Amino acid sequence: MDKRTFLTWADRNARRIGVKKELVIKAFEKDMTTQTGADTPFEIPDTMHVNMRYSYGGQSRFFREILENKRIMGTRCNQCDKVFCPPRAHCPHCYEKTAWTELKGTGRVLSYTTVYFATSSYIKQVPYIVAYIKLDGTDTAILSNVEMKDIKRARVGMQVKVVFRGQRDGRITDIYFKET
Amino acid sequence: MRKVGVVGIGTTQFRSRWIEKTYFELAFDAVKMALDDAGIAKDKIDCVVYGIYNDFFERQFQPDLFVHDYIGMAPKPAIRVSTGGATGGSAISAGFAQVASGLYDVCLVVGVEKSADCFDYETGKSSPEVLKAISYTADMTYEQPTGRTAAGSFALTTIAHLEKYGNPTEMQMAKVSVKNHRNALLNPVAQSPIALTVDDVMRSPMIAYPFKRFDNCLYSEGSAVLILSSEDVAKTFKKPPVWIRGIGAALDWAVIGNRKDLYSFESSRIAAKKAYAMAGIKDPVDEIDLAELHDAFTGTEIIAYEDCFFCKEGGGGRLIDEGIVERGGRLPVNVSGGLIGCGHAVGATGIMQANEIVLHLRDEAGNRQIKNAKTGLVQSIGGPGAAWTVCLVLERDRI
Ligand SMILES: [Zn+2]
Repeated sequence: MDKRTFLTWADRNARRIGVKKELVIKAFEKDMTTQTGADTPFEIPDTMHVNMRYSYGGQSRFFREILENKRIMGTRCNQCDKVFCPPRAHCPHCYEKTAWTELKGTGRVLSYTTVYFATSSYIKQVPYIVAYIKLDGTDTAILSNVEMKDIKRARVGMQVKVVFRGQRDGRITDIYFKET
Repeated sequence: MRKVGVVGIGTTQFRSRWIEKTYFELAFDAVKMALDDAGIAKDKIDCVVYGIYNDFFERQFQPDLFVHDYIGMAPKPAIRVSTGGATGGSAISAGFAQVASGLYDVCLVVGVEKSADCFDYETGKSSPEVLKAISYTADMTYEQPTGRTAAGSFALTTIAHLEKYGNPTEMQMAKVSVKNHRNALLNPVAQSPIALTVDDVMRSPMIAYPFKRFDNCLYSEGSAVLILSSEDVAKTFKKPPVWIRGIGAALDWAVIGNRKDLYSFESSRIAAKKAYAMAGIKDPVDEIDLAELHDAFTGTEIIAYEDCFFCKEGGGGRLIDEGIVERGGRLPVNVSGGLIGCGHAVGATGIMQANEIVLHLRDEAGNRQIKNAKTGLVQSIGGPGAAWTVCLVLERDRI
């Protein structure tokens, strides 16, 4: 393919997959403009993308309380009294309904890792800490981020408390934790 | 339940990218190898089980349909299995059930995976986009948005284990990396045959603390296929069958925070226990000649020593320190190179591991042959923090 045809091809494909034209050119220019023979592998730029509207169903209140009231809620089983956070509308042990209960938002790190190599969506945030946190008054642990000045000081057993982000949009990342 | 044997195997090269083949073409190559190995034509196959993990990797949802079409298996019955990293092990388990039940006599088990077509244009690399495709198999509501990676879920559990037992240390994990990369030097289908030192591993960049670059397996593309047969039909194939004597499987709480502890893999312990009970194994170290364990990460392999009862809980680090799991040791682990040395073509991985054991039990493993191998173990794990585990005990007829 000659250079001019290639640039038109790259532009059309870049629009189609929602990637900057320069990046498509960079990835494909060598292969597409060099004469390599009809049987060499032929690659195209592509993407798989689906827009959605997702209902939180029986867990809706958890996200609404964070968004609107800066409150962390768990659910308590009406039969065995276990408290779940992340919340669930039913107890997986007794199969009974649960009831909402407010939590203090303090807890303890059960384990953690520091991510240095991330997916393309998070690559600009590295390094960051992800930890399982057992919130006080609950029987399960929730995965969340812990933000600290010196990430090397992260430890199992660390006491943490919830922080609500200033701008919240109804996702679990509306909250994170910091050391107390 | 009927006795079931492996009567044909085929494994393509595991590579970082097979640009010249699509997923269904890769599967075709391994199917052809397995049919040739069994000495049969495709008409002899009664049913098919497909092990394919991630639909993004293939750029095709329900990719089994198009493998089935390409390998000319229409209109034979087929099902697809997808259990994360354990997909290959689960596919063998499902194939076993098809034959053991008496429903079919000959079952083709096809594992295949691409991955590196996923491509991050910003960095000009595959890995970040491969990891993104994987991240959609984490819990989308509470866990995926935190940016925890696949390595992260195993790093979290390894740290919990380290906190509880004082091991695996970073040095012990480095030794596993050196062992598996070195073992791969003898395996012609391996993706990462490298002569490394412990220092090389220790100095490699951090991926997810405490895992460094060389503590991780790489994503691979490849296919592995095996053919299962009932006992009465098994004698009609070219080579003597290798019997599946034990299968154990479990699926633990996938949200790790719901588990009673974070430092051991309950699914792995249950799967091993069940497989041993079925195969009549009482002392695994004494009765198993070689094992292919799911070393997606070095720390995971060390925890697997414990979960497969090669030692007591907390004793895993000692097995690598004492060389017990080395090629020349009492119980060699991952002589293929494992996922770290041979590669991790997810849906194909468990089948690649089983095929490696079959080669040794047939005395066909060439210069990496473990002498007089009669019994081998495969451990296939997947999902966040080893939610799924499948264990298989393979055995040859004792002469
Ligand atoms: Zn309950």
